[in-house]
Amino acid sequence: MSDKNAALLAAMHEAVLNGDEAAGERLAREALEQGVPPLEAIEGGYVPGIRKAGELWEEGEYFLPELVTSAQAMKAGMAILQPALAREQRDAQVAGRVVIGTVQGDIHDIGKTLVGTMLSARGFEVSDEGADVPVERFIERAREMDADLVCASALLTTTMTVQRQLVAGLKEAGLRARVMVGGAPVSREWAEQIGAAGYADNAVAAVAVAGELVSRGA
Amino acid sequence: MALDLRQRLARSPAEPVLLDGGLGTELIAMGLEQGRAPEWWVIEHPERIEGVHRAYVEAGSDVIHSCTFGASPSKLASVGLEGRCDEVNRLAVELARRAAGETALVAGDVGPTGKLYPPMGDADTESLLAAFRAQVAALSAAGADLISIETMFDLREALAAVQAARESGLPVLASMTFEAKKRGVFTIVGDRLVPALAALAEAGADAVGLNCSVSSTEMIPMVQEATAGLEHPLVAQPNAGQPRVTPEGVTYDARPEPFAMDLMEMVRAGARIIGGCCGSDPEFIRAARLALDALFADGQASTRPPAPPDCP
Repeated sequence: MSDKNAALLAAMHEAVLNGDEAAGERLAREALEQGVPPLEAIEGGYVPGIRKAGELWEEGEYFLPELVTSAQAMKAGMAILQPALAREQRDAQVAGRVVIGTVQGDIHDIGKTLVGTMLSARGFEVSDEGADVPVERFIERAREMDADLVCASALLTTTMTVQRQLVAGLKEAGLRARVMVGGAPVSREWAEQIGAAGYADNAVAAVAVAGELVSRGA
Repeated sequence: MALDLRQRLARSPAEPVLLDGGLGTELIAMGLEQGRAPEWWVIEHPERIEGVHRAYVEAGSDVIHSCTFGASPSKLASVGLEGRCDEVNRLAVELARRAAGETALVAGDVGPTGKLYPPMGDADTESLLAAFRAQVAALSAAGADLISIETMFDLREALAAVQAARESGLPVLASMTFEAKKRGVFTIVGDRLVPALAALAEAGADAVGLNCSVSSTEMIPMVQEATAGLEHPLVAQPNAGQPRVTPEGVTYDARPEPFAMDLMEMVRAGARIIGGCCGSDPEFIRAARLALDALFADGQASTRPPAPPDCP
């Protein structure tokens, strides 16, 4: 990687940390103009930035406003990079089809959006249904897409029980899609208890788990 | 008639005021479905809510909260009760009043509107003030004895609620919810404990404090920090431990007696109004009542009040 590229990636990291939406967008355009591969910009610039923001949140340096503006700066960059990535990958084989969302009653969407972004960067076809998604909509989308995976995020103890309903609902609907769960109160034990096929406690691990589940086949 | 809250707080030295415990978690235990708003039961199952209120009064609560935590117009609209703010708040206060009788005061409970300030959302103070004014007016018209603002996590919203509550002329309790971070105690949006509570006191709340999010054990140092930094009467309502998700549902892991001992620790640290939040039930309040009686009977408490001549 050239020094120039490295400087650009560092600037992306910085833009996300500072919650600078305008810079997030501008740097993505610069990357494309300079021929930086979109995947490199995402995984070398934006994703490390949002992961660092998450760490600062854990440490009590960042609070919700900082986390939200960081996510907005990342989204601004992704809006530019994702179409470019899609053009690049048009001829490549799709790694798998994924429906992702935060369950009904829960509006937390930062972690879910990050997982969705990283999955699409890694060649998955991702349908991000947003937050507060009813079980029925997860199922309907999974049917429409013939999805390999349904990823459901829940950040509240009061909403994680919806993940159980989702696993049961997909089974009842006779769909082959397997369920991955995540979110702060969610654990591997919980995933096993409700019969979910996969669990990850961070976005990088989620991509690895998704890859494993799809390569093992349904 | 029970002494009004301002008289209680003005007595010096004063025995702490005992609030009630969790309401929503009690209703869930009685069959309220996960995700369904407790305010629906004000209309559909008033007798169940009244039963919980009664149990708290019998357990020794001086003050019980009406089932109106989510009864601001905007929050009601988000759960399918649009346009029913006056009705829900009135019915809920009437239920609490029937259970309170002459022995307890009724606090009109006010929670967050569900609207977030930028950058998280598009709320502004004007619209939040309008929502709180509508709810407080309904609670006040229905005869609430005081207003209790709870679980606020953004000082801007909490201040709007205090302003609206103050306009009713009723006594006002204002609690926010905090977590311990490496750099100190903060709300989720980054309001620091002592400055936030000082701002609520400055805005005219009769008592300020903390509720929800943390266990009684975790709340003790927060109360110590707050009372060290503030002159104002302090409210403390911890959760009954931490929630655990089990196949049977969400349960809380604390037991009544250790919880009550933690509350007494908060009283020793200067808390003047105590109670429980999520997961605490009438047994927790009964244990707190027994512990308070013991604390104020055997002379351990340096703040023991002189018994008023007209009280047994």
